[in-house]
Amino acid sequence: MTQEQTQLGTGIGWRPEIAAGIDQLFGIDWVEVVAENLCHDHLPEPLTRLRERGVTVVPHGVGLGLGGAERPDPGRLVALAQRAELTESPLVTEHIAFVRAGGPMTASPRFEAGHLLPVPRTRDALDVLCANVRIAQDALPVPLALENVAALFSWPDEEFTEGEFLCELVERTGVELLVDVANLHTNHVNRGEDPVKALDQLPLEAIAYVHVAGGFEDDGVWHDSHAHPVSEPVLEVLRELCARVSPPGVLLERDENFPPVAELAAELDAIGRITGDAQGVVRA
Amino acid sequence: MPETLTETHATETPATETHELSAARERLALRQASLLSALVVGTPPPEGFDRARLRVQARALAAKRADVIAKIAPELPRILGAAYREEYLAYAAGHPLTGGYRQDALAFARQLLDAGTPADPGARRELRRWWRQRSGPGAHRSRELLRLARTALGRGRR
Repeated sequence: MTQEQTQLGTGIGWRPEIAAGIDQLFGIDWVEVVAENLCHDHLPEPLTRLRERGVTVVPHGVGLGLGGAERPDPGRLVALAQRAELTESPLVTEHIAFVRAGGPMTASPRFEAGHLLPVPRTRDALDVLCANVRIAQDALPVPLALENVAALFSWPDEEFTEGEFLCELVERTGVELLVDVANLHTNHVNRGEDPVKALDQLPLEAIAYVHVAGGFEDDGVWHDSHAHPVSEPVLEVLRELCARVSPPGVLLERDENFPPVAELAAELDAIGRITGDAQGVVRA
Repeated sequence: MPETLTETHATETPATETHELSAARERLALRQASLLSALVVGTPPPEGFDRARLRVQARALAAKRADVIAKIAPELPRILGAAYREEYLAYAAGHPLTGGYRQDALAFARQLLDAGTPADPGARRELRRWWRQRSGPGAHRSRELLRLARTALGRGRR
């Protein structure tokens, strides 16, 4: 199964737009950076500075599409492995999603989705995902953790719940989990899937870290925008998770509509109060 | 700048994969391809999906694409101003993403220029300059080499 996870602490998604602000967050333990936005041979200067301060940098991939039908692309795997080595990260993370489809297997053109789409929770998709995860694990120098994604729609004829699907995945591959509580909330609103039930079914010991992010509801649909403040229902899912297990790490994601750093610091404080990060977490 | 990956797409079945797994890959490939085609090309959605939700998802993908292009090519929204989003979404509706974003940004600009957009000559000149810089100098050099090669082989055209 899974090995002893690294204690990461409280972190924030590093984006170039808030690099200066993150520099001022002295209590920050770690940052996550989109793997595809890194060059293969050097880190952006602000990230190098953070590393020198002892801040852990974790590469977070968005382009592998391990939930896709094809074997993961060798070039993309090599690139992700390089980013893991470049950051000297204790792990790398990706998503349980497909991001492209079509091509030779379907005799149709190949299209990119440009974002993460949910896989059908069926026996077929699980078998393929597990095979792809093993290929990825063989190619990576550090453990891999996979994230549950936010969905705007449901696949018909699903055979597993979210919890069951993730349990099987962990059992069969030993992969770790990145549990995004905002995505659990999203799927509650959009698919009627109870996050408490999902948490009850999850293999909690496999959690490598937790994502928290803000979104908004429009016309009965939750959009996981990463452009809005973290709202109470998302924090409530985090509370439920922390009532069951003490996650090794928690990370705030903000990708758009960046507020002043003090606002992000306040959100990190609120998250730290829930996870029990006693240090008073971060100060801008 | 991050490098653009050239995909190799190993599609052959390695000896280690069972027939069952290959069959599962094929079934999954068809389901995912028909769904994605509905989302990005607008082909009829597969049976059993909530069509209203697929429309929400399709709009979300297009909006995300517009955001990414605006980030990697900030000159485009600057040159096009308030029209950027509408113009890009109109382009995206007929051009699903098949490769990288840089390629997509160039194709978008090329389509605008071919259509005589933007109407303002100054903005159009600026857009043309942007397109030319981004698609060259490598692209220009190789086109020139190709022309010279054709001439040398006696198959020069114009």
